[in-house]
Amino acid sequence: MSIIKHKKSSDLYLSDKPPLTSLGKVFLALSYVILIAWAFAIIWPLAQMVLSSFNGNQGKAISMAGTYVFSLDNFRYLFEETYFFSWVKNTIIIALASALVTLLIVSFTGYAYSRYRFSGRKASLMTIMLIQSIPTFAGITAYYTMHNIFSSVLPFFSREALLVLIYAGGGIASNTLILKNYIDSVSTELDDAARIDGCSNMQVYRLIIMPIARPMLAIIGLWSFIGPFMDYMLPKILLTNPQSYTLATGLFTLINDVRTMNQPAFAAGGLLTAIPIIILFISLQGQLVSGLAQGSVKG
Amino acid sequence: MDVRLKNIGKKYEGREEFTIRHINLDIHSQEFCAILGPSGCGKSTLLRMIAGLNSITEGELVFGDKLMNKVAAKDRDIAMVFQSYALYPHMTVYDNMAFSLKMRKESKEVIHQRVLEAAKLLQIEEYLYSRPSDISGGQRQRVALGRAMVRKPSVFLMDEPLSNLDAKLREHMRVELVRLHKRLGTTTIYVTHDQTEAMTMADQIVLLNKGIIQQAGAPSELYHRPANVFVAGFIGTPAMNLIPGKIVQGQYISDNQLIKLHPSPDDAQKLKAHEGEEVLLGVRGERLSQGLAEANNFQLTVDVVEMLGKEQILYCELADHTELVVSAPGHLEFKSGQNYDFHIQSDALHFFNKASGERIN
Amino acid sequence: MKYYPVQVADDIGNLHPRKHLALAELADLGLQLEGARPDQKAGLKASLASKQRQLAQHPYSQKLKAFEQKAQAFEADLKDKQSQWQNNSPYKDKRVAKLDAELKAAEERSAFYQAYQELSYDAELAYLISQRQQLHLPGIIQQQLDLEKSLAEKEALKAEAEKQDRGAVKADIAAYRKQRQEVYQNKLADLKAKERQGQISSKALASERKMEKLALKEDLALKELEDPVKGLEEQIRSIKHSLKVGIKEKYRVMQADISDLRRRTPVEVTAKHPRKFLLNLVLPGLAQLANKQYIKAILFFLGSLFIGFAAIPYALGYGNYQGQGVAGLISLAQGGRRVDRSIIFMIEGIMAIFLLILALAIYYFAIRDAYRVEKKRIKGIRPHNWFETKESLESHGFPYIVSTPALLVIIFIVLVPVVTTILLSFTSMDPKHQSKFAWNGLANYKVIALGQGVAGKAFWHILSWTIVWTLAATTLAILIGFILALLVNQDRIRGKKLWRTIYLLPWAVPAFITIMFFSVMLAPNGILTELISGLAGYVVNVKNDTTLTRIALVLLQGWLGSSYIFLLCTGILQSIPQDLYEAAEIDGAGSWKRVQHITIPLLLYQIAPLLVTQYTFNFNNYSIIALFNNGGPFVPSKYGNLAGSSDILISYIFKLTIENQYQALGAAITILISLVLMFVSFLGFRKTKAFND
Repeated sequence: MSIIKHKKSSDLYLSDKPPLTSLGKVFLALSYVILIAWAFAIIWPLAQMVLSSFNGNQGKAISMAGTYVFSLDNFRYLFEETYFFSWVKNTIIIALASALVTLLIVSFTGYAYSRYRFSGRKASLMTIMLIQSIPTFAGITAYYTMHNIFSSVLPFFSREALLVLIYAGGGIASNTLILKNYIDSVSTELDDAARIDGCSNMQVYRLIIMPIARPMLAIIGLWSFIGPFMDYMLPKILLTNPQSYTLATGLFTLINDVRTMNQPAFAAGGLLTAIPIIILFISLQGQLVSGLAQGSVKG
Repeated sequence: MDVRLKNIGKKYEGREEFTIRHINLDIHSQEFCAILGPSGCGKSTLLRMIAGLNSITEGELVFGDKLMNKVAAKDRDIAMVFQSYALYPHMTVYDNMAFSLKMRKESKEVIHQRVLEAAKLLQIEEYLYSRPSDISGGQRQRVALGRAMVRKPSVFLMDEPLSNLDAKLREHMRVELVRLHKRLGTTTIYVTHDQTEAMTMADQIVLLNKGIIQQAGAPSELYHRPANVFVAGFIGTPAMNLIPGKIVQGQYISDNQLIKLHPSPDDAQKLKAHEGEEVLLGVRGERLSQGLAEANNFQLTVDVVEMLGKEQILYCELADHTELVVSAPGHLEFKSGQNYDFHIQSDALHFFNKASGERIN
Repeated sequence: MKYYPVQVADDIGNLHPRKHLALAELADLGLQLEGARPDQKAGLKASLASKQRQLAQHPYSQKLKAFEQKAQAFEADLKDKQSQWQNNSPYKDKRVAKLDAELKAAEERSAFYQAYQELSYDAELAYLISQRQQLHLPGIIQQQLDLEKSLAEKEALKAEAEKQDRGAVKADIAAYRKQRQEVYQNKLADLKAKERQGQISSKALASERKMEKLALKEDLALKELEDPVKGLEEQIRSIKHSLKVGIKEKYRVMQADISDLRRRTPVEVTAKHPRKFLLNLVLPGLAQLANKQYIKAILFFLGSLFIGFAAIPYALGYGNYQGQGVAGLISLAQGGRRVDRSIIFMIEGIMAIFLLILALAIYYFAIRDAYRVEKKRIKGIRPHNWFETKESLESHGFPYIVSTPALLVIIFIVLVPVVTTILLSFTSMDPKHQSKFAWNGLANYKVIALGQGVAGKAFWHILSWTIVWTLAATTLAILIGFILALLVNQDRIRGKKLWRTIYLLPWAVPAFITIMFFSVMLAPNGILTELISGLAGYVVNVKNDTTLTRIALVLLQGWLGSSYIFLLCTGILQSIPQDLYEAAEIDGAGSWKRVQHITIPLLLYQIAPLLVTQYTFNFNNYSIIALFNNGGPFVPSKYGNLAGSSDILISYIFKLTIENQYQALGAAITILISLVLMFVSFLGFRKTKAFND
């Protein structure tokens, strides 16, 4: 047997990091405690919502007092007794329309602001940014009346259409800026190459720049799509008929209006609304955060 | 195809001064012409005007016998290779190469045949269906060349196409470009700031500075007979030594009196008219030889020796600390701090007017 | 300009000698006059004046006039001839016939104008243009004829091929297809096997598969062309395309060439000062007409139509929905019919003003354009023809054209409402004056400043709570997010992905759902209420207690807002280069020191501009206030009946405007906070990169 004892391989110190001091150990433990505590603070209320949405043993209000009875009654109520499906449909239509209008407008302005030097370029953007830091609802009184005036001229101009225009209009400046920054990072030599290859102004945009900017356009479109899902105030002001509500205003009737109150059904509706959005956010978190950070100049 | 520039000038909107002006240039069919110059000299502007990407403010641009001033870039029958390659990142290599033909609604058969032909020549057949982001820098460079080739243009325009490659690859591509040019025989206009590229590749070099052509000619002409001080200083490494002096009785005497030279009979003839004028003497480092000759001798102190193998660059000083650079064969031995005798061959002298910088002899 | 310039300038800036001898003399005299001694001046002036008066009698002027008359007759005659040539053309293709007639006309012009080249620049230009046309047109015609010929040939070939039996070819193609597809499948199987053995990554597999698929598609498409009919169809399509665009492109080149000539050939006019542009004061477009820019004139006439039949009538009250145009802004429907509403009058007034601004802009551009054209003409520069105008519109006008939809949306969705709000704040619109209200100056602002009346009473209380709320809620969220990011991103923390996913949830779940759910949980008998009451030992009713409600709101917003900050910080932390830490470690910094001196400053530096947004967001966070407790609890003694004790300014405005119809007061408060917000945002994004390029 050799004099030098071989250490067991598991004792080998493989990490590049220096070994922990005892203070470090305490700190690490504390970190875990804090992280777990906060995770609990997040998960508990959400878990309550999930639980109560499947609990059939509740009255009009959410309660955990009785015994837990698993059932789909709340969902059934939601589907059969409320306008849930029209709310979903309304929200999706409004969201899709806002995303489309936004993309249509912004894709052109973003390209123009990035690639062309024209007079009033900087000043116009700055002015719009400033005006847009005024909260959207500043115009509510006017929106009402303007809708009356417009719809008397154009009968198809519905309140939903106004809502879509407000959503799209509110984001023009910041989205233009985001897209402009993105297109700025695309070499102008690509434009030149495309011109030599036979593209007109519009073709350069359609065949070259737009496909390259597609990730950013997707983010802008996605944010414009999510916006109407999250907004409560504007639909509340503009939409009057419960059947034409969006999800946010519709679900609120399940908890604040005595006649229609059904809190467990609200929990069920909330759950159904939240799940697709959560999936979207988790799978796209990186892109969404970067999009938000770039658009943070938005007021 | 011949390319002729007649008194071309460019003024950008909102600027008072012409960026470049009075550019007269004849580029012959099948020639490889390099436009060389320091950054900001207007060489890219010139190329972009030829390409049709920038408008021409004045003058005439003629391809063959056709005036091209207002012809759109796509109709000029040119192809351009860009510094950043400008490959469309969302298309495969194949689609990148086929794009211009597709825009022209060329038939599929022709497209396929041309793309394959170019790919074969450039050895990029394997990557035809990859995206530009998946291939290396050298391959991208080839794709960019291929994209230009499939159009079968009558003029190739290249805007510093090699400057994004590393040194080794650049050397390799240089040779390949020359080979390609020989094979295709297309008139090529090549913009670069790298004189080695221009010297090694071009049939004709156009040296541009501050928007003006300093000299246009074969590489050897620019090297051996620089038209002015700028050309003398720009072409050649190490740069030409320029020593201020005077012509006195047909002899050159430097201002510090340390160098006195007898010019060759030819030069003497030309210098007669400049008797007593202040001049700049230009002499290349390799035309200073060690040892004493019958005339034109002087002494130098070697300051720093830079050994490159086949040659060595000696940074020397005259007695009054005027600096001179000498290029000597690598096998000779020089020690830093020692004095050596040198002489200049009398046919290696360049004289420039000190005020105007123009060549005298 | 006092005298005629001696030389005329072209658009490039080159100077040309005058051909108009009479003007040349005048210019010469002017030049002499400038350099003359005082005693000579009177004489020179007199002779200048007399020459100027007799300009039309000058022999050159006479000659020029004779030429112009002759040219006019010639052109009129040529026009007839040209249409005859076109109608009786030997060519069947109408476009070719037109080009051919144009070519013949060019030949005639060339012969006619050649003799007058020295007389005037107009003649010289006409000659040069006709030369240029003769250079271009034959090529265009020939190309078109060649293409037509080869199209006919190919079509004949195709008809031939269609008659023949192509069974063998088709079978061959089918066989090839099968065989090629097999090759493809084999390759795929091969690749998959490689991936399973770990020789290539799954990513490489995916990209290889894509490449193989593309190659397959391309090969198959190519093989299809071996079928002669298919191949010919392809070729015919290509020729047809050239036929369609070929003429246009070449013709465009010719026009561009001609435009180049126009830019380089000056024009001489007898006018010394621009005058015609004044015509546009009467009707935009008239001056363009006088300058012979017909299409431009039509465009400006269209603008005039807008001015005359839309903007002005609307501003005068015609075609309004209810209002009286601009006048409605003053009257605000006072003394009008019962159904007339002041607010409609106001908005229509504002829209009328925007229309007027648009009209003024058209006026301005029409006059400026005409003035510039004329001024240039006097210098010698020819006005643009339609082709040139179109070209410059296409290149310089592109950004303006594509931004127009954005501009319209912004005017009607952002500007008109904002201006309405500004104006409303100076009126008396309140529950008693809904249909009709009047201007009342700064009264609303006074009410707010003094905290008077039913509505103004609560303002200062609400303002102070709004400020506290904004600072507390935002700072809490930032702190939580910041600390969590630092903790999770420690080297030794495991399960980073899991933590990140959990901490993302408050952001991912739509806020209105969470807020509503918390509201439900904290209601009397709610789950949380019972939990807290159990812990405290007595009944805690959060929603009935101002302080508790406020604390709950701040905590809830901390819960909601921390997610985003956390994600943002995590992103930045991951981008801090590792060697910075290594350098600090070598310099002897402990782990806390490293966090303190590297992480925190870098993080703060990068997110600081983003934090401004967080504060302005919470300042305007209507949802949480309204959905959680609707601004309650209500404390009428302090806040009056309109607002609750947890209301912030924005929800207060909402209640004033929507629920209680104090629109004017709401507007006044809106204006005040908007000014503050604009200032803060301006500070925030003044420094951002996007504005500094």
